[in-house]
Amino acid sequence: MQQIALKFSIMMTAVALAAMLAGVWLADIYREHDSRAVLLPNQVITLFPDPKPLTAFALTDHKNRVFDLASLKGKWSFLFFGFTHCPDICPTTLAVLARARDNIAKYTVGAEDIQFVFISVDPNRDTASKLRQYVDYFDTTFLGVTGNDAQIRNLAGQLGAAYQVAIKPGMENYPVYHSTAVFLLDPRARYHAVFTPPHDAEAISRRFKVVRELEAGNAT
Amino acid sequence: MRWRHPVFVCLILAPTLVPAASEEGGVSVRDAWIRETPPGMTMMAGYMALRNNTSRSQVLVAASSPGFATVMIHRTIVKDGMARMEHASQIELTPNASLIFAPGGYHLMLMSPIRPLRAGDPVVINLEFRGGLVLPVAFEVRK
Repeated sequence: MQQIALKFSIMMTAVALAAMLAGVWLADIYREHDSRAVLLPNQVITLFPDPKPLTAFALTDHKNRVFDLASLKGKWSFLFFGFTHCPDICPTTLAVLARARDNIAKYTVGAEDIQFVFISVDPNRDTASKLRQYVDYFDTTFLGVTGNDAQIRNLAGQLGAAYQVAIKPGMENYPVYHSTAVFLLDPRARYHAVFTPPHDAEAISRRFKVVRELEAGNAT
Repeated sequence: MRWRHPVFVCLILAPTLVPAASEEGGVSVRDAWIRETPPGMTMMAGYMALRNNTSRSQVLVAASSPGFATVMIHRTIVKDGMARMEHASQIELTPNASLIFAPGGYHLMLMSPIRPLRAGDPVVINLEFRGGLVLPVAFEVRK
């Protein structure tokens, strides 16, 4: 009996040691600040320890205001690329983001320093007034932005967001392909993290809380 | 996370709830709903859990609705990092197989609603199977 108990305690010690080592190793990755991406559990979010600063870009929001690099400064921004004629992925994602925003608003720090931006890759059909009607439905704080192809390509390229608009002459319902990720930019306008689908409001808000706390810790 | 999804939760709970919403010829449909869209939008999507309770294959070949100009069976797939929609010309349900139409996967693409639809509105969509079986399904618009 004693022998079994001894073996068990040795095994438990080994397990505990392994867990500690794994913890130290993960903490090291956080501290290293190299270019390696850290994959948090469930792969909901990929966090970049060395966030890439974005360079100048210019788009227009649903109230015909300029949306550029300065618009990102001082706020955490959640960016999603899509188009309003999208029946499945876009409304699903925007509904999730609206719930995520509600969750974040309940945190002590609140939602004052966050913004959600829907970037239409289909400026041909998505005018400012259409975008306004669209984003307002999900959350009146959401921004709808777009621009010409070169302007959209600039920002999309910096984030590695793939999209393709397959317009054919005389075709009313042309297909639009777009990335399904939600990009997280930090208040210094750096590409900080990316959420990958399937998107979940609770997962996004919980992960964001951790990211914001980590960043606040880094800043002090 | 995936299991948190309402569709999956409904599937798990389904056997304990009321009988199937629609059932004919051994094909049953549960949790049929349409996502409400912002006003003025002409593209909507319908979701459901489809089950073939028979001992032979059932092939879904088309869908139509008096509430929409066009209904198509689509599937969202992610390829080269981009979401795209593919038209599914038919879907085979093997004996006792279930198929879930859910956000990010199979869905009924509903184009040009005849009148504006808001949460709570009922809409009938007819599912057409090979061999002539037509199953009218009551969908509910949900926010």
